[in-house]
Amino acid sequence: MKVTIKEWNAVAAWRWDMPDDDVCGICRNPYDSTCSKCKFPGDECPLLLGECNHTFHMHCIFSWLRQESSQEKCPMCRQPFKSKSQEAPAQGTQAQDPDTTATPA
Amino acid sequence: MFASKRLSKELSKLHDKLPPGITLIKADDFTEWLMDIRVIDSNPLYQDEVYRLKFVFSQTYPIEAPEVVFVKDEDHPIPWHPHVYSNGIICLDLLDRQGWSPVHNVESVCVSLQSMLTSNTKQERPPGDEHFVKHNKQRPKDINFVFHDNQV
Repeated sequence: MKVTIKEWNAVAAWRWDMPDDDVCGICRNPYDSTCSKCKFPGDECPLLLGECNHTFHMHCIFSWLRQESSQEKCPMCRQPFKSKSQEAPAQGTQAQDPDTTATPA
Repeated sequence: MFASKRLSKELSKLHDKLPPGITLIKADDFTEWLMDIRVIDSNPLYQDEVYRLKFVFSQTYPIEAPEVVFVKDEDHPIPWHPHVYSNGIICLDLLDRQGWSPVHNVESVCVSLQSMLTSNTKQERPPGDEHFVKHNKQRPKDINFVFHDNQV
């Protein structure tokens, strides 16, 4: 018997790669949900991972960092908050390859 | 809106479970709450007394710190402490612009104040209490406290 598939529908779900029950320390909403101001989770209300490995909704941490009193420190550990650059690991692998290692001028 | 969403979450958690010695008294809206705290460990300074805290939230809470003061009435005295003025104003870095962090919440502030009292042994008011209480017209958050020490 020969079966011909005429049509198929795929359904996918996404979630941030974060522990299940964790919430943003600022708004206390789950990471998979939005900050207190947004309606739709995902790219419109992304997460921001700090170099200190603390994560917040981007909108939440920005509204904190905009405050002068924050002194640009992480609300959790009070280290200067810098977003963990996505390119950082890539640079690391490059350095291991002698052909692509840039020599300082 | 920022504040009300976060506070409604805190409220349902407070209704569910509170740390020992801390009681929710009034939270009818998202601008002002009353909490009672009691020192659990035996400390002769605070034996058999209950203290009432008033929290006032701005629209931007928890980005901005809440204003937290002890309130005095017939049943609730102002606790003795070298960082608590006799009008109920509290000098604690956690509540100050420089010391606040948005990961704090009503419960953590209550617990901090409770432990601040628990560890205190001095039946004292801050230096200049009388003058401060008489002349201060500023809101607590606008006062630039000088933190004399970090021992108490």
